[in-house]
Amino acid sequence: MIIAIISVIISFLLDNFLSNITSYSLNSPSLFSTIYTLVILVVLFPYFNNQKKYIILSLITAIFFDIAYTSTFLLNIVIFTIIYFIVKKLNFILPNNLLMANITSLVSIFLYHIITFVILNIVNYNDYTIILLVNILLHSILATVIYTTVMYFILEKIYNIFNIKQIK
Amino acid sequence: MKIRNKKISPRYIILTIVILLVIILIIFSKTLKEDRKLNTVESLLKDAVTFGEKIILTPFNYIGSLVDDFNNLKDVRKENDSLKNNIDRIEAIETENIELRREIEALKEELDIDFVLTDYEKLNATVLSRNIGYWYNTLTIDKGTYNGVEKDMVVVNSTGLIGKVIKTTTFTADVRLITTSDTNNKISVSISNGENKLNGLIKSYSYEENKLEVEGISNTEKVNIGDKVYTSGLGGVFPSGILIGSVDSITTDEYDLAKLIKVTPSADFDDINYVTILKRKDKTK
Repeated sequence: MIIAIISVIISFLLDNFLSNITSYSLNSPSLFSTIYTLVILVVLFPYFNNQKKYIILSLITAIFFDIAYTSTFLLNIVIFTIIYFIVKKLNFILPNNLLMANITSLVSIFLYHIITFVILNIVNYNDYTIILLVNILLHSILATVIYTTVMYFILEKIYNIFNIKQIK
Repeated sequence: MKIRNKKISPRYIILTIVILLVIILIIFSKTLKEDRKLNTVESLLKDAVTFGEKIILTPFNYIGSLVDDFNNLKDVRKENDSLKNNIDRIEAIETENIELRREIEALKEELDIDFVLTDYEKLNATVLSRNIGYWYNTLTIDKGTYNGVEKDMVVVNSTGLIGKVIKTTTFTADVRLITTSDTNNKISVSISNGENKLNGLIKSYSYEENKLEVEGISNTEKVNIGDKVYTSGLGGVFPSGILIGSVDSITTDEYDLAKLIKVTPSADFDDINYVTILKRKDKTK
């Protein structure tokens, strides 16, 4: 569990650090911009045997994401919860390997942006276009794949060293 | 005991989902409002997380600034020569400043204007994070209510207008960028065409073209490509005279009555590390 918490904290910090050195603006997003916190939660999912612990970790992360990064209330909690159910379903259907981890990560990131886009367009008077959404989704692919792959191998190695198969 | 295995009708499931969605959207319509004040718990948590992040990221930021400094060193000699030349002009500029200040005061009295740009104190701040989550168009800066920052204060940098403060905690503040296509927050602008000043409104922002769209200027008025666009001071939030950008293209509306002007922002919103908050000086002091 400690390894999971540390990797979530590192990803959370990475979101902040990279936002200061790469472009996170809507009109020209960088190829290295994704939601690293969400990616790590997806990569960590198969290691959790105890779903309760995973849900608590996800919810606490969502609360901090809401408060520290987006200054919203409940939005990320709702999105992270929806993504949790999708990831759970995908992990049930798909085998646990690198390719599937990447597919699940991409689905999660796409869902995050699509849900945020829809909600903000409905309730917040913003008129974001579909072109903008597609542009953001396309620019998220590279960073998501790289980070998922790197963290997949790192976590696998660490859990092997400590001989941990699953978090109970 | 016989357990009855009741199957829930799909109609009820759909109805429940719809009701849940409506409830969530109603809650979001309240909680996602830009003018929502952060409660004490949110404010404290945000300050704590920001403080923790600041400590952890300090070594990394330090290395980053060292690299920047090293890159800047290349131009030091050139900059030094240019600054030496400017030193000779400082005295003349100071005298000119005193004269201009006197003229501003006289004009303010004559035109009955309460505040101009020089009536604002400047507070420098560092950007802590930029638009994480993409869709919010905000920056988080390291100055908050403790430093006298309040909601609606104007934020600029050396290249022009950046945005305004929308949320504050004790030690941080969220700044909403002007590159936000929000129909509720129109900014009053004036375009200086060399002969006179024309007033208009920033209607929206085109994300695809990275252009601000200005409306409300009559088609009979003359506007040139490259004309500078400033805040007009009307509306009370933004003081007059802050550079926003320059005119990029001019078209007319569907009735041929008003101009639709596209403006290239002067600030580079992808590379903002330091900003200045304009604090209105207390006139009673």
